Amino acid sequence: MNADDRSAAADPLVSVVCGDRMRTVPADPHTSVRHALDTGDLRVRAACGGLGTCGACLITVLEGEFNPPTLAERQKLLPEDLAQGRRLACQLYPRGPAKLYLEHPAPDSAWKSPDSACRVHAAGNPAMGDYPFGVAVDLGTSHIRLSLWQRQTGRRIGSRIGVNPQLAHGADVLTRLDAERLAAAESLILAGEARQAVIEGVRDILSRDLGEITPILQQVGKVLIVGNTAMLSLICGAGDDSLYDPANWQASIACVPDDLAAWRDNWRMPHADIEIVQPLAGFVGSDLLAALIAADITALPAPAMLADFGTNTEIALWDGGRIWATSVPGGPAFEGVGIRNGIGAEAGAIQRVELDEGFLRLQTIGAASARGFCGSGFIDAVALLLADGVIKPSGRFAAPQPATGLRLEPDNPRTAIFASDIDIFQRAKASTAAAMAQLAKFSGIDLASLNSFWICGSFGRHLQVSSAIRLGLLPDLSRGRFQMLADASLTGCERLLLAPDPGKFTTGIAQRIRVVNLGGVVEYENRFIDHLRLQPFGVTE
Amino acid sequence: MLEAYIQAYNDAVFETDKQTALNVVNQALQNGFSAEDIVFKLVIPAVEQMMAFIERDPDANLAQHFMTAQIAADVTEKMLEKFSKPPEMVGRVVIGAAYGDLHSLGKRIVSGCLKSLMVDVVDLGCNVSAERFVDAAVAEQAQVIAISAMMVHTAIGENGSLKVRALLKERGLEDRIKLAVGGAPYRFDPELYLKVGADAWAADGVNAAKAIVELIREVKP
Repeated sequence: MNADDRSAAADPLVSVVCGDRMRTVPADPHTSVRHALDTGDLRVRAACGGLGTCGACLITVLEGEFNPPTLAERQKLLPEDLAQGRRLACQLYPRGPAKLYLEHPAPDSAWKSPDSACRVHAAGNPAMGDYPFGVAVDLGTSHIRLSLWQRQTGRRIGSRIGVNPQLAHGADVLTRLDAERLAAAESLILAGEARQAVIEGVRDILSRDLGEITPILQQVGKVLIVGNTAMLSLICGAGDDSLYDPANWQASIACVPDDLAAWRDNWRMPHADIEIVQPLAGFVGSDLLAALIAADITALPAPAMLADFGTNTEIALWDGGRIWATSVPGGPAFEGVGIRNGIGAEAGAIQRVELDEGFLRLQTIGAASARGFCGSGFIDAVALLLADGVIKPSGRFAAPQPATGLRLEPDNPRTAIFASDIDIFQRAKASTAAAMAQLAKFSGIDLASLNSFWICGSFGRHLQVSSAIRLGLLPDLSRGRFQMLADASLTGCERLLLAPDPGKFTTGIAQRIRVVNLGGVVEYENRFIDHLRLQPFGVTE
Repeated sequence: MLEAYIQAYNDAVFETDKQTALNVVNQALQNGFSAEDIVFKLVIPAVEQMMAFIERDPDANLAQHFMTAQIAADVTEKMLEKFSKPPEMVGRVVIGAAYGDLHSLGKRIVSGCLKSLMVDVVDLGCNVSAERFVDAAVAEQAQVIAISAMMVHTAIGENGSLKVRALLKERGLEDRIKLAVGGAPYRFDPELYLKVGADAWAADGVNAAKAIVELIREVKP
């Protein structure tokens, strides 16, 4: 399991003070203070890849023990600065609990560095010639993930995650489609916003990890974009109702921008081949294709299942011959959307709830005071309350709750759970679990025989599989068969970007995919209703 | 006499516990009640009580709504096989989600209630064109077309109920086939059904089924 122990009480922490802001990061002797801060909102200034050559990331040690100053620091800083505790954050590694003061932080930015490790190791391709840089983009409904590569050497310069500005237009894809339907003029504005967001992410990498922007943009030879169909359609500026037309739901939709020259011009990337990896169908995007490439699904022993939990949840089942794929709604609940006290996986989000000698113990991201539930914390809480008889399998509270909800911490209203929250969760879990069961039925496979189950999406990183199994969100497999794949779609996009023969991936996997639209499948609807009940998978089958 | 069974059955439905509800029915059968008794004296009153109850209960959830209709439809279907003579059906309905609408679950509650009220239900699924609704109603000799629409644009759109009404008029079928609608937009605007050319609407599954039965009686001698 990818247990996230950032908030475990026993771990020493480094606190960084900046004016009236403060952030704590784990005191990890193998992670520089700069890299630790890069995953959050409070970042040091930077104009190099962390080699100590730009000297921008000045920070002052107030308390605690660190590594001795490096050669780079002795070249950049005066002896009296060093004597006063001035250091370069990129050269600074904590050896225990500590306190730092940051006088000049980087300007606020929508972009952070993801805290998951890069999974792609590229050999490099000397044939890349004059335009060796490449950008991989995963255009998600709530977040945009991207990375910049030197394709000639196979080096990843940097990667970022940022909130998709489209999120302001609606909580789920359908609402956004309504937004898209409004007017062609508006859809061009939406496309502009999405493109602007991507280029800002790229520029954030260039300015902080390379220290130069314009010359590098001119050397970008390729931009590869994966995403869900609605987002790809939006960034292409499709000003029509193509997604609304029932004829397009099962067929593939061509997401091809008709203004590539203007797009390149706008991004100052005159030599970039901007390519959209085409969605599989109106409701299954190329983000699923990328996730399947990241898992290398056809090389796995069959049967294997992959679920990418997000605003929509995509599910795929590899049966040894075909990949059955579908998409179901209801995912926002897994990201905290729709839950009264739901928040994203951000500081203060309850990410885990455990029973400790009869008491509920809440773990929050960043060990901050609880501000609400992210998906994994909510699922833990419901699973524990179900086991305790406080919530019944029907999803109702056993006893009426006050109007202020059931508070896990009596004094903290942000820890309250309401009946409507459980109802929303039941729908999301039922549509997901029923889809897993239905794909198994179509392919003639017993879910109990799955050799591996890949959980993608940021939701999966904090999820306690045992809680998900208890509620019937995941099939009851032995824990060792579950694999977490953070940033799966970006990883798959990177593989495509760097592969000498990307067609091998796309055709090898895409040709085996059979997209299934579960809308109107009566058998699936029956399963949905059965799976509304909170109980382990399979009991109702 | 069946009161105790109705109570036990509804307790199980309230808990969304399908198996226990089916066990109650089997117990009643073993104790000598006929399949007809179970449908008419147990399931139908039980569904009506339960729907009325959960409509009033602010904490009632979706699982309870669906299970109420689902279990009733399942039990009725099983009991029909055991009827001593084929039951006299009230009439026939073609039901579906409007063109462009993929929301299929709302109509399932209505279908479940209709089945327990002895109405034949022909489910055309989702995203059903106006032509298909009318053609199917004619082919199946149905008395009512029931259209579910969960989004405003599929409720008031030109390819939805409005077109079905136009086709019924064009083909001279208005005396033989009635049009009922339901779904979220109609709850927000109780007059909306008239604007889309429908003959009736209802806010919940049991009342929709009852409204449809009334429409059937209007056209069926």
